[in-house]
Amino acid sequence: MKKLFALAAAAATIATSMPAAAADLVFTSWGGTTQDAQKIAWAEKFTEETGINVLQDGPTDYGKLKAMVEANSVTWDVVDVEGDYAAQAGKNGMLEKLDFSVIDKSKLDPRFVTDYSVGSFYYSFVIGCNKDAVDACPKTWADLFDTEKFPGKRAFYKWSAPGVIEAALLADGVPADKLYPLDLDRAFKKLDTIKEDIIWWSGGAQSQQLLASAEAPFGSVWNGRMTALAQSGINVETSWEQNITAADSLVVPKGAKNKEAAMKFIALATSAQAQADLAKVTGYAPTNVDSPELMDPELAKTLPDAQTANQVNADMNYWAENRDAIGERWYAWQAQ
Amino acid sequence: MASQTETESGAAYAPLRARRPTDFDLTLPALGLLILFFVLPVAILLTRSVTEPQPGLGNYAELLGSSTYLRIFANTFIVSGLVTFVSLLIGFPVAWALAIMPSRIASIVFAILLLSMWTNLLARTYAWMVLLQRTGVINKVLIGIGLIDKPLPLVNNLTGVTIGMTYIMLPFIILPLYGVIRKIDPAILQAAALCGATRWQSLVRVLLPLAMPGMAAGALMVFVMSLGYFVTPALLGGTANMMLAELIAQFVQSLVNWGMGGAAALVLLVVTLALYAVQLRFFGTDRMGGR
Repeated sequence: MKKLFALAAAAATIATSMPAAAADLVFTSWGGTTQDAQKIAWAEKFTEETGINVLQDGPTDYGKLKAMVEANSVTWDVVDVEGDYAAQAGKNGMLEKLDFSVIDKSKLDPRFVTDYSVGSFYYSFVIGCNKDAVDACPKTWADLFDTEKFPGKRAFYKWSAPGVIEAALLADGVPADKLYPLDLDRAFKKLDTIKEDIIWWSGGAQSQQLLASAEAPFGSVWNGRMTALAQSGINVETSWEQNITAADSLVVPKGAKNKEAAMKFIALATSAQAQADLAKVTGYAPTNVDSPELMDPELAKTLPDAQTANQVNADMNYWAENRDAIGERWYAWQAQ
Repeated sequence: MASQTETESGAAYAPLRARRPTDFDLTLPALGLLILFFVLPVAILLTRSVTEPQPGLGNYAELLGSSTYLRIFANTFIVSGLVTFVSLLIGFPVAWALAIMPSRIASIVFAILLLSMWTNLLARTYAWMVLLQRTGVINKVLIGIGLIDKPLPLVNNLTGVTIGMTYIMLPFIILPLYGVIRKIDPAILQAAALCGATRWQSLVRVLLPLAMPGMAAGALMVFVMSLGYFVTPALLGGTANMMLAELIAQFVQSLVNWGMGGAAALVLLVVTLALYAVQLRFFGTDRMGGR
């Protein structure tokens, strides 16, 4: 047993202590296809332009980020985080202020810009449905919460984050412009009505597996994952009715070693071309308002930024203020 | 080392022998590594459980005073106990069969056992997900042969966790048991039969007591490993079957509340060490692993 521990400790040490050469920039994201796309659309271009080598690390882990900042031993330079976390961490002193003399924010969607973060890409929680598995697909959040009209299991995002609580309130008839501050009692009461029929997905791949196998023929999912499923030949339908947007953000941890290069990296990553290139591959929307012009119009139509008419914006500032309180209540409710 | 001392210096330099490294000295590098990279970080995390957000035992009061968290503790023990029980139930016959079958066949079975252990945990867990789900192979076959008309809920609940974890834990119970059972002299069972014992009697009164050290060692190991399990319950269980390790991960990674995370980790550590002490007290280290 001890040997096992020692082995594990040694492995962990080797994995975390590989030192980056001084000039290398370390970019950390969530792994999988999204990070692969970020590597091609952003990192390789950045190396071409500046000669600075970019090392990929991941997955993003808020616990690890906090440990690095507190120990003043930060090995990550640019990190892709969730928008609500970025807003909160900025206020808590975990992040460097961004240098907007290097990063041009005039073309960036202001919904996703703070002093400490800019949008990395944005996505929508949409209603995905496997058409081959059911007679009728739910079109609205109210449909998705109606187990009589639409019997069967439904997939929802497991972690405490913007998306599910908003969906519950919209389903219960709260107008989109009256969502905030969130009425948590009402939301959990609504969620209680379908709790037995929820299968939680903890990562994008799992949501695809659930829908494709019809284990849960419909659910609240990230739009990009439905694009990918459709491309792989699954007969899926996406309802954009009241799609709920949330964004990932790019941030620089407090005390990052290569701050200057990090700002340049973010400037490139949020440029019109780089954002367009990323959107092409991932199915997520660009945060640069000039990007859609650079894209195939057929493709641009399938992205969340073409669905703004019926879009509900998750309020990142509200979430930043209440992230901890909601999280505790969320997980306690789930475990009941 | 020994031969060198004897050929070059003979017995005249006996005092040199006193400075030979003892067993303990030899463990020092490993021990140092453990302390630096395992004990110390754990100690730091545990310290935070009594210093964050305010100094005191607030985190422990919250943890032990909440019915939600207590349910997670209880669930952790129920799942671990169930997995241990089922593993023993399946593992004992397998270990016994391994001990008495011809060694050529046994080595093939061992290869299968070990191969499953070396396959990536995540891949194995996802495989179970695909097998067990409502639209999965098992349910389709059962419906196809007419045994059931509605799919059985085999995953995202206690059943799924138990099946997935038992599968992973089986080698840890079979290997020590095999070691113990193989050492039992077959003549003893023959003697039991000669003395008039039925097959059932020789199993319950002869074989089981003799195999007890292996069963206890394996069972405790499986129970303790199950207590801290994360991936399998997270993927095959529902949120209502959450286990302690998941709760800790939530505190540390998602809520970034290290005080509570540390407190939950300490509770898990205390329970594990207590069980380990029981194991040492009753079975000793020398009997573990069946060697």
